[in-house]
Amino acid sequence: MKSKSEIVEVKALPFAAGFNWSTGFQMQRFIQELANRKILGAKCPECGYTYVPPRSRCGKCYTKIGEENLINLSGKGTLVGYTTAYVKLDGQGNFQDLEEPGIIGAIKLENADSTIFMPLEGIKPRDVTEGLKVEVQWREETKGELADIRCFKPT
Amino acid sequence: MIRRVAIVGYAQSHHQHNMQETREDMVFEVCKEALHHAGILREDLDTVVTASTDFLDGRTISSVFLSMAVGAFLKDESKVEEDGTFALYYALMKILTGTHDVALVEAHTQGSTFNPHQITFYTLDPLFDRQIGVLNDIAAAALQARMYMNRYSVSEEHLAMAAVKNITNAAENPCAHRKMPNVSVEEVMGSKVFYDPIRELMMSPISDGACALILASEERAKEITDKPVWIEGVGSCQDPYLRDRNIQNLDSLQMAARTAYKMAGVKEPFSELDVAEVSEKFAHEELMIYEALGLCQEGQGKNLIKRGTTRRDGEMPVNPSGGALGADPICATGLIRVIEAAKQIRGEAGGYQVPGVHRALAHGQFGICAQKNTVFILGGNGS
Repeated sequence: MKSKSEIVEVKALPFAAGFNWSTGFQMQRFIQELANRKILGAKCPECGYTYVPPRSRCGKCYTKIGEENLINLSGKGTLVGYTTAYVKLDGQGNFQDLEEPGIIGAIKLENADSTIFMPLEGIKPRDVTEGLKVEVQWREETKGELADIRCFKPT
Repeated sequence: MIRRVAIVGYAQSHHQHNMQETREDMVFEVCKEALHHAGILREDLDTVVTASTDFLDGRTISSVFLSMAVGAFLKDESKVEEDGTFALYYALMKILTGTHDVALVEAHTQGSTFNPHQITFYTLDPLFDRQIGVLNDIAAAALQARMYMNRYSVSEEHLAMAAVKNITNAAENPCAHRKMPNVSVEEVMGSKVFYDPIRELMMSPISDGACALILASEERAKEITDKPVWIEGVGSCQDPYLRDRNIQNLDSLQMAARTAYKMAGVKEPFSELDVAEVSEKFAHEELMIYEALGLCQEGQGKNLIKRGTTRRDGEMPVNPSGGALGADPICATGLIRVIEAAKQIRGEAGGYQVPGVHRALAHGQFGICAQKNTVFILGGNGS
């Protein structure tokens, strides 16, 4: 019997979806400031919860967070969770085994409440522990793109 | 509740990978069988609610071509996204308003259409997490598992024991996908590691499957069957996005359960529930679910699995059907839990029947790290 994909093979969506999302000024500023090696957070003026990346309205108390509530974060933080990846998804639905396992860290930046999930380098998987102090690693030339954040490393 | 509503019939497919049936045929078969099980006709249906997800179905307006299959031709019909328990909640409300008396609820996914783990990547924040590119549902579950394990001294063996219990139970369930009656803790711990500590046999399988359930108002339920399964309570809640919640706890499940318990008058879930059917997409979630449902204290989930309390012959059986680790046709998985709980109450669970079930809990979830949760409390005539 023929496999399903041999009968009708649809390789992709019939259009290239380059989604034109509005980012809002907070996210725009966040990405622009990466060029200056700065990480911005948004501190809710009502409850104090600090979002990173910044958001325009507090999800906890619904208060509007304005431009004046954007704060600079140090880029240093604490590892609150971790996993070692042995595979990755290739974007086409296939799992690929990684030649070198990679670490994904759940990181709380100093003075921020959100947890961000980032690649962690410069440490062996068996040495990773919760509470590890980590720091952002910038790529050599920062351009105001998310790719400016290369990874995090132990301090 | 302002009106009593009961489950009066149901059916599910034989869940498997790479089912050769079309989606329409698969859905048609379970709906026809559910009507037959209830002993009613398509003409008796007032409304139909289906559940699926466009991305998982690989098409937009994913209910297209299904109105015939679900018996909704020229009838009141609507679709909800994601888990079938959300569709059940909506159908329940339609009957509670008094505008409808009999509803069919259907849910399905053919996971073999496209790797559903890849699709979870598209549920992430497109402006940040998708750009960073390291997360998907398995990676996030692994981060959650490690945080939970570190916090409560839970070992990989405890996770493997939960997997063994459910996969072994699934072997007795003719509808389940995974058939590994002799699976061992060693085999689970030796299976392929994806994201540490999550291994292949600690993850739900990628299944094709569908299920359907008939819901009726008290008056109609009593005409249709002498074994109605009453909905005694329901609760639903969702957590914030991954970055702004504590993923080592299932807070929204705890809140959903509390709401459902209050509505059903359940004060001591461990002693008042006879069985629970829960949607554990990963082995560690089962232990976290025990805690969120109040079946034990926080951090004590490992003791229930270690002591065998939640085995089919234990004091508080959880997932005698094998749960999501036994079969996971994604959008159908929560509604299948409701059907399995109803089967236990009606004594129709065959080889995996728990004796003397009067009251049961069913749980459905959706989203990375079980972001959104719904809990139903069901009771038989005597409960």
